[in-house]
Amino acid sequence: MLFPSTAAPRLPAACAGAVLFALGGGACAATNAPEWTFSGFGTVGAVHSDERQADYASSSMKADGAGRSAGWSRHVDSKLGGQLDVTVGERWSAVLQVVTEQRLDYSYQPRVEWANVKYQVTPELAVRVGRIAMPMFIAAEYRKVGYAYPWVRPPIEVYGVLPLGSSDGVDLNWRWNGDAMRSTTQVLVGRTDIPLYDGARLRGHAIAGLSHTVEQGAFSARASLVTARLSLSLFPELFQALDSFGPEGRDIERRMKIGDKRASALSVGLNYDPGQWFVTGEAGSSKVDGYLGSTRSAYLGGGWRQGSLTPYAGFARVWGTRPGGPSALPSSYGPAAAKVNMALALLLRTVPSQSTLSAGLRWDAAPNLAIKLQHERIATHAGSRGMFINTAPDYQSGRTAQVSSAALDFVF
Amino acid sequence: MRLLRSSRLLAAVLLAACAGLAQGGDLVVIVSARSQVGALRPEQVAAIFLAQAPRFPNGAVANALDQPVGSALRDQFYLGVSGKTPALLKVYWSKMVFTGRAQPPRELAGSAAVRRAVAEDPALIGYIEREALDPSVRPVLLVH
Repeated sequence: MLFPSTAAPRLPAACAGAVLFALGGGACAATNAPEWTFSGFGTVGAVHSDERQADYASSSMKADGAGRSAGWSRHVDSKLGGQLDVTVGERWSAVLQVVTEQRLDYSYQPRVEWANVKYQVTPELAVRVGRIAMPMFIAAEYRKVGYAYPWVRPPIEVYGVLPLGSSDGVDLNWRWNGDAMRSTTQVLVGRTDIPLYDGARLRGHAIAGLSHTVEQGAFSARASLVTARLSLSLFPELFQALDSFGPEGRDIERRMKIGDKRASALSVGLNYDPGQWFVTGEAGSSKVDGYLGSTRSAYLGGGWRQGSLTPYAGFARVWGTRPGGPSALPSSYGPAAAKVNMALALLLRTVPSQSTLSAGLRWDAAPNLAIKLQHERIATHAGSRGMFINTAPDYQSGRTAQVSSAALDFVF
Repeated sequence: MRLLRSSRLLAAVLLAACAGLAQGGDLVVIVSARSQVGALRPEQVAAIFLAQAPRFPNGAVANALDQPVGSALRDQFYLGVSGKTPALLKVYWSKMVFTGRAQPPRELAGSAAVRRAVAEDPALIGYIEREALDPSVRPVLLVH
């Protein structure tokens, strides 16, 4: 673990102290009228995939995508977000961001992405309490804001491996600037509880995150580490069935089921952007005890800015490792066991191994508006279904899909 | 009469052209005449305006005062100190705003308004046309 177990209770106490300290100065802050700001962002997107045996989706938190459910899908990238900011005086501010996009239950029910109160202890140190996006990778915190990055979506091989999007808790941001080099360190603790579908939930507790960002001139780098204990109550029938197959069945259930299992993700990203061109590369590894297994992933992308046009290209890869130990019941258990074994094998195909070659064009058509066209060649590897969802039972790993995307990103 | 009218038109056109040239002329980054801040480098100014540095190099707290979005002065300023085009600047602030990190600086329209505000508050830093300089403020950087 990154933090000793005593760190978690101490942080909220420190934060409460900060709040009290601030309230002491409240009389002076109260003379400042609150300043409200409303802003928003969105994407209208359409994606086509020629893979008829599986859906291409931008994340595992989507109900469907392009390919098997429909040749064209508008659900992969389309979304709308609104944000309300309020600032009171020099030190207090709050943010509420709500995003609507397709969810696992097919609905577009809005979800609160950010909801926190920030107290600026000093110009360099800030404390936030509330819902905070996970500080993973370079772009994870603004991954829903298509306008903010060159490509249609952040590479799913890197950004899609851990289903943790945000944490409800506390974080500290500390900025320390040298003469030319500027650094920001962020520590975060919290928990999360996300409804998926049919009563299934994703729960994370003891979430701890540490990220460090360095900027110098055109160069920036970020390293981050997140650990948590995860519970994912999907596939209850399978685990119930395993339970009835004696010690072997219960052993598989214990190792595969994600019930209060340790999860961690580590990433390092580099970006060089002198203005005329840019190159970005990130590498990460994740590990979830249970059927999600562990992954290593990386991408490299770059582009050239020519007036309002930015052609770009990239390569992304994820290598998955299935959880160790036996993952099938002995054949002596008969045909019932064979059925369970088949379900287990399908489940373990979700540990992703996939590579994507992509090329695209961003056109900054107007202030606040970008139009993007992108083509990707995606191959799955090593018996896995990659990052595809809704795979047909006879889906064969090693297939190649051609995926084309068009997106219109806007901010206001 | 007709001659007079066309000479007026010519004068108006010349005036507009001069204004256009002035728009493309030098601009100066200013602090209050009462401020202790010395000369600044372009990247130090950019860091303050991009909410990356909360203080001047001498340790005093710094607050940036911007010109309105779409003004030629603003575009010239950011291109000069940070190399960012209006589109890249919009991308930058989208990242900052939608991650709750910071809001863009307060805006005031016109060099005179910015100069008046900066003159009164030593924590403020702004930029104006070079021609708008007066002794109430002190230039800390010249942007061509």
